[in-house]
Amino acid sequence: MHLLRTFARAAGTLAVLASSTALVQAADVSFLTHWAPDTVAKLEAAAKTYSESHPDTKITVRAVPFGDLLTTLRSSGGGADGATIAGIYDAWLPDLVKDKLVAPVPDAMAADTKSNWPAGVIGAASIGGTLYGIPNEIDVYALNYNKKLFADAGITAPPKTWDELLADAEKLTDKSKGQQGFGLINSWAAGVLHPFSSLLVSNGGDLVVDGKPTLDSKAATETFNLYETLVKKGYSDPAMGTSDANTTGPFLDNFVSEKTGMIIMANWWESALKSGMGDKFADIATAPIPVGPSGDKARSISYSWMTVVNAKAPADEQKAAWDFLNWLNGPSSGPNGASAMGDILMSMGILPSRTSDGAAFADRLNSDPFLKGYTETLANAKGFPVVLGGQEFSEALQKTLEALQFGQLSAADAQSQAQSDATEILTRAAQ
Amino acid sequence: MLRKQNRLAAAMLAPATVLIGVFILVPMLLTIWLSFQNWSTQTGFETARFVGVQNFVDIFSNSSIGRDFKTALVNTAIYTVLSVVLILPLSVVLGLLVHQKLAPGGVFLRTVLFSTYMVPMIAVALVFSKLYSPTEGPINQILGWFFIPPQPWLSSPKTALVSVVLLNVWQQVGYFTVLAVAGLTQIPDSLYEAARIDGARAIERFWAITLPLLGNTLLFSAVIAIINSVQVFEPVALITQGGPIDSTNVLTYHIRRVGIERAQGGLGSAMAVTLMLALIVTIVAVFAFARSREART
Repeated sequence: MHLLRTFARAAGTLAVLASSTALVQAADVSFLTHWAPDTVAKLEAAAKTYSESHPDTKITVRAVPFGDLLTTLRSSGGGADGATIAGIYDAWLPDLVKDKLVAPVPDAMAADTKSNWPAGVIGAASIGGTLYGIPNEIDVYALNYNKKLFADAGITAPPKTWDELLADAEKLTDKSKGQQGFGLINSWAAGVLHPFSSLLVSNGGDLVVDGKPTLDSKAATETFNLYETLVKKGYSDPAMGTSDANTTGPFLDNFVSEKTGMIIMANWWESALKSGMGDKFADIATAPIPVGPSGDKARSISYSWMTVVNAKAPADEQKAAWDFLNWLNGPSSGPNGASAMGDILMSMGILPSRTSDGAAFADRLNSDPFLKGYTETLANAKGFPVVLGGQEFSEALQKTLEALQFGQLSAADAQSQAQSDATEILTRAAQ
Repeated sequence: MLRKQNRLAAAMLAPATVLIGVFILVPMLLTIWLSFQNWSTQTGFETARFVGVQNFVDIFSNSSIGRDFKTALVNTAIYTVLSVVLILPLSVVLGLLVHQKLAPGGVFLRTVLFSTYMVPMIAVALVFSKLYSPTEGPINQILGWFFIPPQPWLSSPKTALVSVVLLNVWQQVGYFTVLAVAGLTQIPDSLYEAARIDGARAIERFWAITLPLLGNTLLFSAVIAIINSVQVFEPVALITQGGPIDSTNVLTYHIRRVGIERAQGGLGSAMAVTLMLALIVTIVAVFAFARSREART
């Protein structure tokens, strides 16, 4: 009898211990990102802070190069054993939702998110009115130029129109020094497309309207012609614009080493420029995208990133992931009313999209002339189209624009091919 | 007795046969089946929809799907031909240098050559992407000493694929040199001795003895070099991402892009099946060529 009682007590104790262990190890959340090691360290520090008050949640961060992010997400991230949270580019969202890889944001959190982020950013993170991700960074394109090279060429102000852009590019081009006036990027889809799209919208055009490509417009014709002129006149050397899988490489090296006078790029490369140029970063300035002959004012392209939760992850893991994201993006996790996510983004020179983060970092944003040029551009930026088949559409247009850059296609042929490919891809994807 | 032996043989062969069936035949048959389906790699096989030969029609059409696939197919063929054409003769020349006994250092040279094969591709990719840098790369700086203008290397669609081939040759030639040395050691010295007595010069001994007797080794090397080249993936994924303008987009990288990144499993499978058929035809042609040469001699 005594033995039986002892056994029952031991079993009870074991049951209590097992249940408490289960509570302590409630969720193992993994976070997939493409950020660089120093930024990953900041995210890990934030996760550690969160875990101090949530010992039941273990958060690990896994980083892959940008070029491998979508593939990793699709090949392993979407399974039950894949990453719980992933940082994704908004253009990928429609296809990931179609394949049921990402979970909708829980209702209460979605309502809170909708009231704390700008409507445009919420729109990019939603499909059919359902919010699928917590937006974090917003990126916008602007003209970056080297003030020293401008002064050496006798140029006093950045170009405001395409005519001025061509005139300045001519003055900045000096083949004896291996110097190009205007930098075009190749071998990286966004690096090719976004500057082109920025010039297109600044000329009154669009890539896609209501899900249909509009690359056959007059505004697009003029944009393709601008590229052809830049290359034919030698103001842009495509061999100086190659990018690698980490979105660095010769295009960055040439701008950093003062071999490129102007280039259209997004705000997030501020940290790369600073580390590459040191004190010479002070020579870099930001200006609005020059306005084309059919444009009414300087416009640009913007896109956003968001964190999504794996729809195939176990329910408790998803719940823990949303709770962590709620804290990470909330106003109490960072310094001075900012979110921890906003703080991480600002460390890279990236604009946080949460409205209160904009206010919390207002001083810094206004005192950083490089970033200020971007925040001023944001008001007139159009979101990069978020459509089904967006990745394939981007890659097809990238190849056509690269063929134009390298002189394999004329402007007219490139435009015709771009419109025809886009129509075929978007029609097929919508089926 | 015979029946008992057959049963024993079947029992002994069964584990290997089952393993081959599960891990090789089933995936191959599945890929062939999927090549006739419209299927997203993110969904279960039950969602696959039969489309007949439409995927094959698409990959050879003039649409963007067809253009990209044909470009990748041609790039893979060029990459393979250039790699084999450069690696095989180089491996024989280097093999002769390593194998000769007139000067010391053969073993050291063999070690150095083989060491390139052991370097991980990620390290090779990182180093070569900097070596090939058009403006600051050491290769262009060295060319400058000889008044040769800087080359665009990976930055131009005209030279990018050849640059990746050169990287491949640099890394693989050591392995094939070791194969060539293994073949050279099989040639009896008595044949060279007899040829020398008959007054044959070194170059004549090479054409009359070395090369013919290296035939089997070279055939094996050619087959391995072709298979390795057709399967090239890492340098493209790590350095060029298939660019510029798809000039380095090879089939394995393209299949990964279509099948995984875009989740178009049916199209990706049709491409994989076509690649497999092309490889089989090529290998059979190489063996047929070798057999016909053997029959003539």
